Amino acid sequence: MSKKNKAETLNIITNQVDTLNIIKGEDTWEPVGPTPLPQLPDLRNWSMRLLKTYKPFYAPFCDLCCNCTYGKCDLTSGKKGACGIDIATHQARWVLMQCCMGLACHGAHGRHLIDHLIEKYGEDYKIDLGMQVDVEAPIIRTVMGLKPETLGDLRTAVEYVERGLIHLVSSTHTGQEGNNLDFENKALHAGMLDHVALELTDIAQIVGYGYPTSIADTPLVELGWGAIDKTKPVVLAIGHNAASVNSMIDYLRDNDLEDKVEVCGICCTAHDVARYSDKAKIVGHLGKQLFFIRCGIADVVMTDEQCVRPDVPEEARKAGAALIATSDKISYGLEDVTEKEIDEIVRLVSEEKRQVLILNPEKAGAVAAKVAVVLAPNRKKGFIDTEAAIELAKDCIACDLCSQACPNMLSIGKAIKQFAANDIAMLSETFKRCFTCGKCEQKCPQSIPIVKIMQAVATKERYNVRSGRGPIHDVEIRQVGSPIVLGTIPGIVAFVGCSNYPKGDEEVADMMDEFARRKYIVCASGCAAMAAGMVKDKEGKTIWEKFPPGFEAGGVLNVGSCVANSHIVGAAIKVANIFAKLPGRANYECIADYIINRVGACGVAWGAYSQKALAIGTGCNRWGIPVVLGPHSAKYRRLYLSRKEEDDWNIMDGRTEKMTEEYVEPAPEHLAIVIESKERAMVSIAKYCIRRNDTPVGRQIKLNHYIALHKKYIGEGLPDDLHLFIRKPTDVPMFFKREVMEYLKEIDWKPRQQVGLPTLINTYPTKANIADIK
Amino acid sequence: MKPYWDVNILTGTKTARIIEDPVQFAGLIKKATRPLYILGPDTVDRKIGDKLFLKYCLDLAKAGNLPICATAHVQKKMEEFGVQPNSSYDIIEIVNHLKDPEWQGVNKEGNHDLIVFSGVRCDLAERGLATLKHFAPHLKTMALCRFSHPNADFALPVIRKDEKWQEYFASLIANLIGDR
Repeated sequence: MSKKNKAETLNIITNQVDTLNIIKGEDTWEPVGPTPLPQLPDLRNWSMRLLKTYKPFYAPFCDLCCNCTYGKCDLTSGKKGACGIDIATHQARWVLMQCCMGLACHGAHGRHLIDHLIEKYGEDYKIDLGMQVDVEAPIIRTVMGLKPETLGDLRTAVEYVERGLIHLVSSTHTGQEGNNLDFENKALHAGMLDHVALELTDIAQIVGYGYPTSIADTPLVELGWGAIDKTKPVVLAIGHNAASVNSMIDYLRDNDLEDKVEVCGICCTAHDVARYSDKAKIVGHLGKQLFFIRCGIADVVMTDEQCVRPDVPEEARKAGAALIATSDKISYGLEDVTEKEIDEIVRLVSEEKRQVLILNPEKAGAVAAKVAVVLAPNRKKGFIDTEAAIELAKDCIACDLCSQACPNMLSIGKAIKQFAANDIAMLSETFKRCFTCGKCEQKCPQSIPIVKIMQAVATKERYNVRSGRGPIHDVEIRQVGSPIVLGTIPGIVAFVGCSNYPKGDEEVADMMDEFARRKYIVCASGCAAMAAGMVKDKEGKTIWEKFPPGFEAGGVLNVGSCVANSHIVGAAIKVANIFAKLPGRANYECIADYIINRVGACGVAWGAYSQKALAIGTGCNRWGIPVVLGPHSAKYRRLYLSRKEEDDWNIMDGRTEKMTEEYVEPAPEHLAIVIESKERAMVSIAKYCIRRNDTPVGRQIKLNHYIALHKKYIGEGLPDDLHLFIRKPTDVPMFFKREVMEYLKEIDWKPRQQVGLPTLINTYPTKANIADIK
Repeated sequence: MKPYWDVNILTGTKTARIIEDPVQFAGLIKKATRPLYILGPDTVDRKIGDKLFLKYCLDLAKAGNLPICATAHVQKKMEEFGVQPNSSYDIIEIVNHLKDPEWQGVNKEGNHDLIVFSGVRCDLAERGLATLKHFAPHLKTMALCRFSHPNADFALPVIRKDEKWQEYFASLIANLIGDR
């Protein structure tokens, strides 16, 4: 052996030992799989295999690249930038940067919570997710090969994420990566790391704060601004990191104030404080942030991190509310008063009206509670009355500049004009679709306070949402694993993400209702879970009251905040690992291959707006889970699409280890797609739950829903691609048998064999062991 | 020209040619060998005056003998009017097909050379038009939309008044009848 080769070999061995030490290679819970702590090259071939079928689709937002001082560079008509980059590669780089932002948010959130909880409880604090959850961290186990047992192990996981993130961000620099597919591999890697970050964060907060786990039937939480008791001192928490607001709950409990102070939240921190305290309430999703602050109901606004408006200090001041920022990620230029005594800070805030930054969660919580109690008695709170609002609306000159500025393209001007004429219907409907960004007001030459006027038409009803339940239980997986894989439970549909909906909250509620009634397993999280709860049926029930809360056919469950999305992906992994007994440890490709071929799961991020949502969705794509996005998400600029009749769908039959010779169904057809309307989305979601491994009975059930939804929403006939999903006559749903068989005859359809064990493993160079999937 | 919606303001260099004259617009359609008319859900959600936008579009398609791709759930409404689209894809899927010069089109006669958009949600249409602008140099795009679309090759000016919009359609239809 040459000196050079010897040195390289030693390096490799050293690295392996390091890796095994990190993941506790001596542990015997499962043999270490082929890709412990994967770095970029380790799963690159898997990414490229996915990208061969699901090619990137780019929709540039801008013709130019403005990344460096060479620019601006015009990238139209095949031109390259001064650095040599082309438009496709530039889009892919942009997407990677966005994914890295999302990953950084979740990773930093997790890092903060873990450091805080380790400081509180020590690094040996045990992870225990209750009697029903043995596989505590399916993502971390599968990606890293680590079985986390303590908070210290979660810190190891976040260190792995941090290391990967630096590497990914570095590749976005000018003069680094130069190929769009390699950028996509990196984006997929970022998505995968993001899921590690999600999981470690939610596990940390479950064990650190005692959130519900191993229970499905979590309580219903009051939801909506109408549910907030404004006769009490009100503290509003906004963001995603509940450390400070949970500390406030501790303070209230310790001081016998929990019934005397109203604690509410917007966005994911609301979910998490409601997991901590059964008295906390949820105002709504992030889209109603400006609206609620301007209502003036909150005496204290407490911000933490992510999805918090940069103008909260200005808006809080206008509303006469105190502001306490609690994260170094959102400091607003405020004085850091962390080192001051609590009573001194209370005085500064309540008497001198200072807005402050407090970086100690316990102190921030105590201050917020005390300030609310001091301020509330002297504040006038309430919604504007209709008469006063109409007077304000009468200033409208019908220029319609407000409508033009609306990111959701709502006819605000017309609605305001009608409202001024005492016709509230249109403004009421407009408000339902409005995410109260306030851009309309900025354009108004009459300075009409449009968001304030909307208070008059906003419903004051009380709604509810089920409190986040955390992980799916191992026993639930054992019960539904078989019907999911065989296809007799037609799919798992997860409604996740933000509230940038094209047509309001009803769309999410309608879609969830449709799939729950059809006995899919319907999961939700984050703002989507809240939006679904803001709609009542004719009997006055929300979706959370209508369906059982278990991971079962027809169940509708809320896993929690957006970091709890990890449990939905975790459920798909557990189907492979617990039900099918597939080795999971550091065996990413085999598990993802199992999911894409056998687990009929589909994510729906109908209102995704954030970089975090992009990272989560891209992470799902690497696991083989398709994601349906609402129309706004075309602005993410990249999708992963196939072309069902043109592309090569050949795969391997794992039993014979030979490539299939016949056409194999395009399932799932796309990995990331934007769909324009709710109606079309529902038809597509049903189709994207079809998997190659479906049994004839399972395929019948799935096609039955696909056809029925198509007839309901698209047209009287059959879907024009139906034949692609029928392998044999036994796949044809009984209810539509005659019509389908006539159609098949008409197009000269020929039956084909069902692939015994569909797999992508060994259709590309891989270290994954095909024996694992047998 | 600035489009109606701020969200569609172009940040770029290659912008649409504005066709103010419906006769000229009709002329461009007539010159096409294999045009395709893409109809989005705003055709079912919006009216021009008292008449559904879709009705105008169907009249136009008939006058110009234009094959239709119905996106979203437009097909359902078309069927109520006794019309079947030539194809039904969602907007992103049809754009994805159109990118490929070898695609055989909705009538299996070869890819289309002119794509006309109506009623696709404006911000989404703009993204689809951007994709075609950058990645489908083999075809031309027209946005038959009163809100104007800078990423199309040919677009209308912003048309604020219903009467003007009706007049534009009427003239367009009149100038297409019998010529294809």
